[in-house]
Amino acid sequence: MKIKILRILVALPAIVFVSFGVRWLVAPAGIAPFFGMDLMEGLGRSTLIGDMAAAFLTLGISVLTGLVTERRTWIIVPAIFMALAALGRVLAWAFHDATLATSMIGPEILIAAFWFFASKHICEGEKA
Amino acid sequence: MRRLLAATALLAGLLSQAASADDTSVDSKRPNVLLILADDLGYTDLGHYGSEINTPNLDALAREGISFSNFHTAANCAPARAMLMTGVNNHLAGVATIPEMVPPELSDYPAYQGVLSQNTVTIATLLQDAGYHTYLSGKWHLGSTPELIPFNRGFERTFMLADSGADNWEQRPYLPLYDTANWYMDGRPTSLPEDFYSSRNLVDTLISFIDSNRGDGQPFFAYLPLQAVHMPVQAPQEYIDRYMDAYTDGWNILRENRRQAAIEAGLVPADVPMARMHTTEDWDALSNDAKRYEAKRMAVYGGMVEAMDHNIGRLLQWLKDTGEFENTIIIFTSDNGAEASDMTIPGAALGMRITGHNIEYATLGLKRSLNTIGPSFASAAASPLAWYKFQVGEGGMRVPLIISGPGLEAREGFDHAFTWIADLAPTILQMTGTDMPGERYGGKPVHGMEGKDLTGLLTGHADQVYGPDDFVAYELAGNKVVFHGDHKIVLHAQPQGDGQWRLYDIVRDPGETADLATKHPALFQRMLGEWEMFEQRAGVQTLPPGYESRRQVSINALRKMFPNTILIFLLTLLILTPFAVAWKIRGKNNRA
Repeated sequence: MKIKILRILVALPAIVFVSFGVRWLVAPAGIAPFFGMDLMEGLGRSTLIGDMAAAFLTLGISVLTGLVTERRTWIIVPAIFMALAALGRVLAWAFHDATLATSMIGPEILIAAFWFFASKHICEGEKA
Repeated sequence: MRRLLAATALLAGLLSQAASADDTSVDSKRPNVLLILADDLGYTDLGHYGSEINTPNLDALAREGISFSNFHTAANCAPARAMLMTGVNNHLAGVATIPEMVPPELSDYPAYQGVLSQNTVTIATLLQDAGYHTYLSGKWHLGSTPELIPFNRGFERTFMLADSGADNWEQRPYLPLYDTANWYMDGRPTSLPEDFYSSRNLVDTLISFIDSNRGDGQPFFAYLPLQAVHMPVQAPQEYIDRYMDAYTDGWNILRENRRQAAIEAGLVPADVPMARMHTTEDWDALSNDAKRYEAKRMAVYGGMVEAMDHNIGRLLQWLKDTGEFENTIIIFTSDNGAEASDMTIPGAALGMRITGHNIEYATLGLKRSLNTIGPSFASAAASPLAWYKFQVGEGGMRVPLIISGPGLEAREGFDHAFTWIADLAPTILQMTGTDMPGERYGGKPVHGMEGKDLTGLLTGHADQVYGPDDFVAYELAGNKVVFHGDHKIVLHAQPQGDGQWRLYDIVRDPGETADLATKHPALFQRMLGEWEMFEQRAGVQTLPPGYESRRQVSINALRKMFPNTILIFLLTLLILTPFAVAWKIRGKNNRA
């Protein structure tokens, strides 16, 4: 039962990320301001929509794949991705005059840590 | 030649009336035109037409002019307005139905734009170009983009609601598909005053428009498309109070009483049969509380009709006080028959939650009340006819028509000739001595008017304007009808109908109780042939399988409210589904 609840808690942010990815593809103008961005023009818009959608869809799909296959690597890599995103935000604040986005950094670190430790329990059977 | 003589006689009458009037009050030789359009008014909702509702002003207008018993219009709003404004068949005018009901599969077809095509010219444009002041105060619903609003379709001054309807007490939409009630003043978005009540304020605004140019020598064309009595059915408390005891016996008795009154008034034949609609509920099976609630819903409706009449009376009195009345042709009608929508059905609560309305008994008809009368009382409002708005039965398409004015002699009873909504535009042009548009107008091609000039009927020089070779066809949401002489063929599409053509004699049997298709097979086949020709000519399209107009309104509303949310939800679901399936399979395997 405990593992089942853990699986659901791991899956929830993954599902949200999948929906974020789809939103970047379908209605980018609506989600861009959520991340403090304008939609940009031309090549910038292409990169923004393509990369953001790819990042969120990959995050979500990887974690869900990890839950289904019970292979930890599928969850660890997104956790590392999230942790690096948080680190990047801190460095952007320190060296590139960006805002210290604590409202983003906090959840990113929490989710990364949660996925890292939860995957240990969920994928216990992988060793066997 | 006979029609030419009739028109000449009428125009001569109009001009002589104008010349003999007080010089200080009537500055023009040509008559003014006041066109009043009620919204969703039933066939027998006026006292003159057999109603118990107190409508003294419209009854007086009817006594002073000519009332029609066999006048037909479209079965819903915008198509009727398109034909009224242009005299052109609504499909050719781009308004097969209201835009809210158009399925996306048909939205590229010219006939299904839901807004008035630029290939038509409005009577407002024609009258404006002929030297008339042109005013509109009320609901337009033929397009809200800059090139489509009435300010750019021939109206000089406008106070306009762009939507299919709105709250009568405040600037509030009645359907969730609208973000707000879209009101415009002279082409720009505007806000309603705090003390707004639709019938009162629309009349006040129209009076101010007319008054602003009075005495400058130009006649006016004033169009008053009222919100009354479209849902939300709302009325001032003092008007509601007058009808609180009027409907406690229920819809069956009301329908029968209206039938008797219509017979006594000469509106319908003495032995007119009447069908019971399958949507009419069993009044006797209702609890006392339910009966009390239903009776109040209809009491508000009665109050709203009387409030409309009262405000029309104020306008007529103002015209008399200013000396304009004697030189004004007044036309009163409704866009379609009684509305059967019902906000008490399951599922309606969600929409009301979004628009901020309720249907509580204590405040029925007052602010924030989304009152309706439902199909059972709508059937009584259309008595003795069958069906109602959105349907091509007589109850949806046959409505009151009153025409009064200089040069027209008062006539007792009713004119029983078949008449059609598209006839009013050419009639107005004829009565004002304005030229009909040709194949081009304003440098662009336009559809010619199809309606018939009714002046022959008005002057008594003709008994009919539709001859033995004339047919009038109409379609709404797969419901089809062809009128010809005393007869009509009609097909009610599923699910409300059975999709079968039937033939009725709508003069002797306006309640459409006896199918004559087998009795008159040659006539039936000839009319079916006319339908097929009309279908081709007007660009009528086959609706998508399973189409149902009210459901389409809900779907279009959802699409408009959440255009991307639905797509995002579906795509996310698509991506997640394989994982959910895999998870389920894995769970099963583990258990095994």
